[in-house]
Amino acid sequence: MTDIHVTVPKEKWTPVDRGAQDAEFIAAPSLTYWQDVRQRMWRNKPAMASLAFIILLILAAIFGPMLTHHTYYDQDLKLSNIPPIFEVYKAEPADAPAQYVFLNSGNFKLYEVAENGEILGLVRAKRKDLMKKQHIYVFGDAEVRVDYSQLPATLVDGDGNAVESIGYRWNQTNWFGTDSLGRDVLVRQLYGARISLTVAFVAAMVNFFIGVFYGGIAGYFGGNVDNVMMRIVEIIATIPLTLYVILMMVVFQSGFLSIIIAIGSVFWVDMARIVRGQMLSLKNQDYVAAAKTMGASTKRILTRHLLPNTMGPILVTLTLLIPSAIFIESFMSFIGLGVSVPMASWGTLTAEAVETLRAYPHQLFFPAAAISLTMFAFNFLGDGLRDALDPRLRK
Amino acid sequence: MLHYLIKRILMMALTLFLIITLTFFLMHAIPGGPFTSEKMLAPEIEAALNAKYGLDKPIWQQYLSYLQGIITFDLGPSFKYPGVRVNDLIREGLPVTAQTGFLAMLCVVALGIPLGIVAALHQNKWQDTTIMAIATMGVAIPSYVLATIALYLFALQWQLVPTFGLDSWQGYILPVLALSGFWLSFIARLSRSSLLEVLGQDYMVTARAKGLHPQTILFKHGMRNALIPIVTVLGPVVANLLTGSFVIEQIFALPGIGRHFVLSISNRDYTTIMGITIFYAAFLMLMILIVDLLYMVLDPRIKLGEKAQ
Repeated sequence: MTDIHVTVPKEKWTPVDRGAQDAEFIAAPSLTYWQDVRQRMWRNKPAMASLAFIILLILAAIFGPMLTHHTYYDQDLKLSNIPPIFEVYKAEPADAPAQYVFLNSGNFKLYEVAENGEILGLVRAKRKDLMKKQHIYVFGDAEVRVDYSQLPATLVDGDGNAVESIGYRWNQTNWFGTDSLGRDVLVRQLYGARISLTVAFVAAMVNFFIGVFYGGIAGYFGGNVDNVMMRIVEIIATIPLTLYVILMMVVFQSGFLSIIIAIGSVFWVDMARIVRGQMLSLKNQDYVAAAKTMGASTKRILTRHLLPNTMGPILVTLTLLIPSAIFIESFMSFIGLGVSVPMASWGTLTAEAVETLRAYPHQLFFPAAAISLTMFAFNFLGDGLRDALDPRLRK
Repeated sequence: MLHYLIKRILMMALTLFLIITLTFFLMHAIPGGPFTSEKMLAPEIEAALNAKYGLDKPIWQQYLSYLQGIITFDLGPSFKYPGVRVNDLIREGLPVTAQTGFLAMLCVVALGIPLGIVAALHQNKWQDTTIMAIATMGVAIPSYVLATIALYLFALQWQLVPTFGLDSWQGYILPVLALSGFWLSFIARLSRSSLLEVLGQDYMVTARAKGLHPQTILFKHGMRNALIPIVTVLGPVVANLLTGSFVIEQIFALPGIGRHFVLSISNRDYTTIMGITIFYAAFLMLMILIVDLLYMVLDPRIKLGEKAQ
């Protein structure tokens, strides 16, 4: 074995000049965990767009119905099934001012409108020629016929030539049109949003208070307490949620309150499981042991150490459970077990649209879009939150 | 293994017993008897009906005889259809529900997992983006909305498939599509992320270094491990396909159990509600047990019966 002689050149012993310490300089302010999360959230465009959408929806649901004179229950059978966009035609009698009309191709009725698209009322037919399948309308000396011998129905003048339209107009009276009972679809959509958001809020509260509490106690105390509590959760979880909600609806009669009770009473189960799992792994961490050694009370350990560290999974689970609560409500309303008429929910609105699907397929668009967009928004927000809270999970 | 199985079955029996008790007393807590209707029945007729169905006895006696019936697989008579037993309703509806449910399950497994694999193998390429865009839509759009839109487009507008009934094979397309839509997308997303995680593991590199055939690597090492989280959710998938059938059977007018269930609710046919609930719960627990047993085949590391922490 030979000795190794390392000779260090003399210049290496000179002190480092102060400039080299700049490498250690912290240029950006150090961020707390939550500041970091917020920054990552900001950079996630779909999640931020979803958050904006949800906030807008909440504002619209709260204030929207206050800003209009339409109500969700006011019926006007004369103005039923009006589409949100229609093609306007001009009738020009020589002896009277021009009138604007549009043809509802679903029920072959003619409505008088203002030039900007405001609905003035139903026009009565002068004559109905059932043989030729024509309705004849008279404006002064001009004659307009609705010809439905060939579908879709068209508007022709007295000589049988097609009337030129002056273009499409947006319905100014009912922005989203009206339903089969002449109720304003937009207001009913907003009331539907109120219902869905209330359900979401209740589900969130129940999860937050019962779920977190229940799971927290089970996980923290462990042992027999945990065994008994988790057996109960297991039994509740065996009954499918939809089935349970339906049973509750049968017992309490269908209605909005029953949905709230049904969802509220069992919806915390998943959250309890997740919080328990987190608690079980966290309570054995060294910093908890350290806190205990220093004589911290149970309350302080729970509120200062355990809960803040479970916050991430709690938030993510919450954003994923909310859409499922919204879905259950709309699902129940769709099969006729949810809110009772004339109250509107996105589920009942879809069900109503299905009834008129053949004649007025456009009525399906708004409720379907509303519920799908809301589900999208909550899903994207949940994914975004998960990535922001725990970047390791990003796939 | 046997010990575990016995323990699980005992636990299932206890849960089922609790569910039976819960539904029984819930159903009897509803104000008004099953024969209360707008048409007032003569008191004698109502008394005779009550006597025939044993409703005049004290409630604990009714409860005991109901339990006795269940042990012999008899769910009692339907209150709404005279002479029909709940067993008959289930026997009549089960083939329809089971067929669509089985086909939907097949779709979920046979399409969802391969789509997930394709997406994972082409991560961030166009195949991946397309599949994931569709899967995200499938997760967000509720099944009843999907069913109605599909019904409108394919049956009413383009008339490619019948609007209702299962008389021809085309009749199955829309119900199965609508029923499996959500879970198909869910499984595709899950298999993608699960496989991506496995692909990054060291043993995959080792397998390549050994010079194994790429297919052997993917299926023997990759998929076998990636399947574990997928199998976990298959139990709940069966549950949700079953309850999802309520609305699908309603929209497509299929005479399955789900439709009987929804009808029995609006008819206030309490024995049918109870019977179908119990049948569903028992079926589900059986499915979850089967899924748990499947685990062991896939992953020898999972020792059932020992408490997982």
